[in-house]
Amino acid sequence: MANTSAARFPDPHDFKAPKELEGWEEMYPPQRLFSQDRAEWEKRHFWYQDKIHAPEPLYPLDDIFQEAWQIALSGYTTRVFCIPPAQGITQRIVGCYMYIAPVEPPPPEVIQEKAELFGKRVPYVFQNYSKLWEEWLKVFKKVGEEMEAIKVPQDLGKYVPDDQVMPIPRGYTDAHQLIESFNTIVNLIFRAWQYHFQYLNLAYLAYLMFVDTARKLFPGIKESTIGKMVAGADVSMFRPEEELCRLSRLAMGQRPVQEILKKSIPAADKLKELEKTDAGRIWLEELERVKNPWFYVSCGSGWYHYEGSWMTKMDVPFSYLKSYIERLEKGDKIERSLTEISEERDRIVEEYRKLIKSDDDRKSFDDAYNTVRTIYVFAEDHLFWVEHWLHTIWFQKIDEFGKVLTKYNVLAKPEEIYLFNRFEVPMLIEDLATAWALGEGTQTRGKYWQEKAAKRKKILEAASKWNPIPALGVPPTEISEPFTIMLWGVTTDTVGEWLKGADVDTKDLNELKGFASSAGIAEGPARVLNMLEDIVKLQPGEILIAKCTNPSWAPVFTNIKGAVTDIGGLTSHAAIVSREYGLPAVTGTGVATSVIKTGDIIRLDGSTGVVTIVKRANA
Amino acid sequence: MAEKWIYWLRELGTEHNDIVGKKCANLGELTKAGFHVPPGFALSVKAYDRFMKETEVTDRLLQFLKTFKADANNVADTMKFEEASQEMRKIVESIRMPADMEETVKNHYSELCKAAGRENVFVATRSAGPVSHPGQYETYLNVCGSDDVVRNVIRVWSSTFNTRSVIARARLGLPLNYDPIGVAVLTMVDAKAAGVMFTVNPVNGDESKVAIEASFGFGEAVVSGNVTPDRYLVDKITYEIDEKVISDKGAEFAYNPATKEMEYKELPPEKRKLACLEEREITELTKIAKKVESHFGCPQDIEYSISGSMAFPESIFLVQARPESVWGKKKKESVLGKKTGWQLLFEKATTPVKLKTS
Repeated sequence: MANTSAARFPDPHDFKAPKELEGWEEMYPPQRLFSQDRAEWEKRHFWYQDKIHAPEPLYPLDDIFQEAWQIALSGYTTRVFCIPPAQGITQRIVGCYMYIAPVEPPPPEVIQEKAELFGKRVPYVFQNYSKLWEEWLKVFKKVGEEMEAIKVPQDLGKYVPDDQVMPIPRGYTDAHQLIESFNTIVNLIFRAWQYHFQYLNLAYLAYLMFVDTARKLFPGIKESTIGKMVAGADVSMFRPEEELCRLSRLAMGQRPVQEILKKSIPAADKLKELEKTDAGRIWLEELERVKNPWFYVSCGSGWYHYEGSWMTKMDVPFSYLKSYIERLEKGDKIERSLTEISEERDRIVEEYRKLIKSDDDRKSFDDAYNTVRTIYVFAEDHLFWVEHWLHTIWFQKIDEFGKVLTKYNVLAKPEEIYLFNRFEVPMLIEDLATAWALGEGTQTRGKYWQEKAAKRKKILEAASKWNPIPALGVPPTEISEPFTIMLWGVTTDTVGEWLKGADVDTKDLNELKGFASSAGIAEGPARVLNMLEDIVKLQPGEILIAKCTNPSWAPVFTNIKGAVTDIGGLTSHAAIVSREYGLPAVTGTGVATSVIKTGDIIRLDGSTGVVTIVKRANA
Repeated sequence: MAEKWIYWLRELGTEHNDIVGKKCANLGELTKAGFHVPPGFALSVKAYDRFMKETEVTDRLLQFLKTFKADANNVADTMKFEEASQEMRKIVESIRMPADMEETVKNHYSELCKAAGRENVFVATRSAGPVSHPGQYETYLNVCGSDDVVRNVIRVWSSTFNTRSVIARARLGLPLNYDPIGVAVLTMVDAKAAGVMFTVNPVNGDESKVAIEASFGFGEAVVSGNVTPDRYLVDKITYEIDEKVISDKGAEFAYNPATKEMEYKELPPEKRKLACLEEREITELTKIAKKVESHFGCPQDIEYSISGSMAFPESIFLVQARPESVWGKKKKESVLGKKTGWQLLFEKATTPVKLKTS
């Protein structure tokens, strides 16, 4: 029984989102909301806001990734690899923000059953990981190719063209194709997210095991040091940046290309100018060759449609190219040295290892290390392929659905499609297909959909101004679910911070605390990046402040002194890249982007997780 | 030729422990191994022995002790010991060294001066017992001039007659008139900061850390516990500073040229809470600590001094190294047990993490 006198957050069933958000519930499917019929079970759980995957209000269609991970992550823990005392992670939406809870442990006999299955299935994965990874990548690329091949007809035509009727009739119309294509893409994204978790739960579990092992031997070892020990140097997430470096070197010495890329004009104009010269065309060919997959990189986390990707916001990679070329001209080295990174990692591991006194311990340490190294690379590799590559394809396709719905006035603007959830979009498509099929003079309910979209847009705007409560319900006394601990960093301390953090006026803060994600100290002017487009304003030597940094921002990291984020733990996508670049970083401060202003002089200590505002810009 | 009783530090090693005392032997070992130790020499227990036996000291002490009656286990007799100690020290300090000894000590001192390129170099005369009795005997700092060096060597010998040493011997039934120790005569480092470091985290025995304590001025401030030092915990492998506590250090232990004494001098308010070590000094100290530990093969307790007049890194001197006494002695037992990666993983998977939430 939960201790009723203990500190707790409001009961989710009593909690009300602000009234400006009225009507938010209808945007999301009913199973994703708190309800009286499940109240007893819901009250037993601890719900905290998932700032990693849903730091911003959720557009109904972007919610599809959340739904997909809930099923996949949980299923792998409970039914596939059967981590004995752990169950899944459940989600609820409150006021457009997502709250998640690790599900209470199963009955003892289930733990027993699962332990047997775990013992049988998991060793197999570790013994065969490299082979399994190759297979995984093959299968996953096929999903992406299938998704890319989905046809989204943009013009339904007044009449079906002849060649679909004779000599070999196709048998179905483009209007039907639209309906089918949407179903297909939904199926594919859900399947892709199944693959996403195929080895991730085990990778996280192995990591946590290694942290425990290292801590037993070296009680004071930093999690950032452990991060360095397990990090892979050659992982997919760094390839996009490596390709940019390569393209920059390719441009060097090709006068016109080098000069054009250095210009301060939009990427689209640069592309046109490059087309006009021979050298430019050769360079463009090379660009085309690597675009898929290496430019399929979200400009943000990959979780929100409005973040865009390098493909839709070419200005982003082109601004990186410009800065790389300028640095090459100065004689700087722009590439990360893979050998240096792996040598440093091996040195750290070897020196710690030497400190171990007992032979038994050294053997156990070696074995634990080899175990985590076998599989941890999945935690780094999957990220590029799922959140970046595949999501980029998804968003390209969904944009096409948005366009055709707009063309036939079902929607006023293509991006309105994201205001409808995945169960509603088929209604819009069916409405269009039906109206088209019924013949001349028929109407869709475009006006109804568009009014709904406008209203929802307002609710989401109001939601983004609301500072959502960090958690709901009663904090648990123990947690077995690996992601809860590792990814969201739920610990005694974080729960405590949330409990008191709710009433602090952030404007008065001069010191923030977050995770010591990447060691080192940096002091300098802050640059708050709310949108990635602001990247062009970034000056060398500034300290980057963002809601979350992202590996796709990697090229920025060669220009800054350090990074501070609102969201993310030690193994969050942000921390990994900072460590790789040897930049001090503090992640998961919760409030950095609202407390720190561009121009403030700040000091960050990536070894202690403390960020200090040394001097206010306007003070 | 009489038995050798005076040594340059570089002639010594840990094997000379019983001859010159632990402190001298260790400093010699460090010097030989190439560590930066202030130049100096050591007088062995034989020197003490000669002084006691070749002068009238022993006779006079025995004469005095004939009438001395007190019970070391009776607290009420403490005053009697105190008075006796004063009397005996007066006797010891009133007697000159045998002439040849005096000359030899002075020659050694003038060698030190020559090496330092100064006429009268400041030295410290430090006691060095063959068995470690931290703080039992006395040390005199900022000794200057050959007569003063000789006088202070005798003062160190005389500290074997301080009250607590006499009581300690009385309790053990040892002769009260004789307790041979070594003496180190070391060039003083004009310390801007100094302190102690352990090559193990003294709190939890974590051997991947070096714990450094530091304060302004001479190291006695830290060793004696008279000031609250700055504290750093540094990772031996990544050289990251994991913990840093800058304390209000209040005062520094420094030489007062007016009184020619070492004194605690109040620090100006703006200096009290300043860090007394630079980051590069912390890193360098950590590297040195690692080397000392690997030279001796066990966790070390190291005293260091940073010169205010010399350039980094030559400014850093070691003035003492000895085995760390708590964790160093613990037998290293396995903390993990003999486990495979799979066993560890299974354990992790089946053990929930406790949260303290109430």
